[in-house]
Amino acid sequence: MSRIPLADIEQQPESIREWAARRGNLNVFRLLANAPKVFGGWTAMVDELFASTTFSARMREVIILRVAHLQDSPYEIGQHVVLARDAGLTEQQVNAIRDAGDLDEAGFSPTERAALDVVTELCTTHHLSDDSFDAAHGIFGDEAFTELLMLISCYYGLALVLNAADLDVDAGSWFQPRTGEFR
Amino acid sequence: MTRIAYRRLEDMTERARELTEERGNLNVYRTLASAEKVFTGWMIAGRDALTSRVVPFRLRELVVLRTAYLMDCGYELGQHNDIARSAGVDPDEIHAIMSESDWETAGFDPVEVAVLRLTTELLTTRGVAAALFDQVHTALGSEATMEVLMIINRYAGLALMLNALDVDLDDTARLPIRKLG
Repeated sequence: MSRIPLADIEQQPESIREWAARRGNLNVFRLLANAPKVFGGWTAMVDELFASTTFSARMREVIILRVAHLQDSPYEIGQHVVLARDAGLTEQQVNAIRDAGDLDEAGFSPTERAALDVVTELCTTHHLSDDSFDAAHGIFGDEAFTELLMLISCYYGLALVLNAADLDVDAGSWFQPRTGEFR
Repeated sequence: MTRIAYRRLEDMTERARELTEERGNLNVYRTLASAEKVFTGWMIAGRDALTSRVVPFRLRELVVLRTAYLMDCGYELGQHNDIARSAGVDPDEIHAIMSESDWETAGFDPVEVAVLRLTTELLTTRGVAAALFDQVHTALGSEATMEVLMIINRYAGLALMLNALDVDLDDTARLPIRKLG
């Protein structure tokens, strides 16, 4: 049960109602609407992360679900298990990301495996060793590596907010990763 | 020593350059600008976070410093050591925040202690006990409580990026946080 009352999206400014119409009328947005001075900027950041073509939808979900798992965020896991399946991950891959299976046996591509290694080391130690950085940077290069960090950063931090507020998982509504895409 | 090249202002998109110049040509921005498809959105989120005065300046800097300490982020500690001073946090208080538990007995007021406790518990256990959350929520109200959580969100996430890229602390340049407000 959410520890902060959830706002009514219909009572929000036009820009937020437009955002919720595109992205879903989700509990997370009703929670963040309690902080109207910073919510708008946050939506601009998320819009860019999902508009970017640097990562496929599948790669993005591999990264996000691993962060959600390592941050013990039931809300992020609830949302992104479904989005990960939609993006083409198998049950075996979803389970492996959630440490209920072997990451090396789940058929991830070398690039996906490299991203998972960055997420794991960074979320659990807060740093990356020189060897880990060199391996990942060699695969991704400056731009994609930095963007990978942006995705990790977004979901790592958001998980803390959601866990602190003990936000309820939505019943049957999912984040819309692309405008106009319905499920 | 930074692990990727700092991007020069003249090599940024116009919007990225504007947002960077508004806040100072700091190494953190020159590094993260490499993610050019998502950098401006991140900067806009940052501007909102830095200009809101819902959380008092001093309380905000206590949260930032505690987050930076627990995330082991030298860059954030270096920048915010000076910013916290300008927000009225004295050197002894900064020293206490950058320790395991000295802050509990360093003379912070009860609301500051509760917020520091929440920050500590959240970053070390990924959750907060209901009673502690309610204590902060009752003291600050919903909007400021959410903004405290969003400050932890932003600086914890940023700490991961700065640590992963090993960004060097700027020699003298500091975020002009008061000017922005």
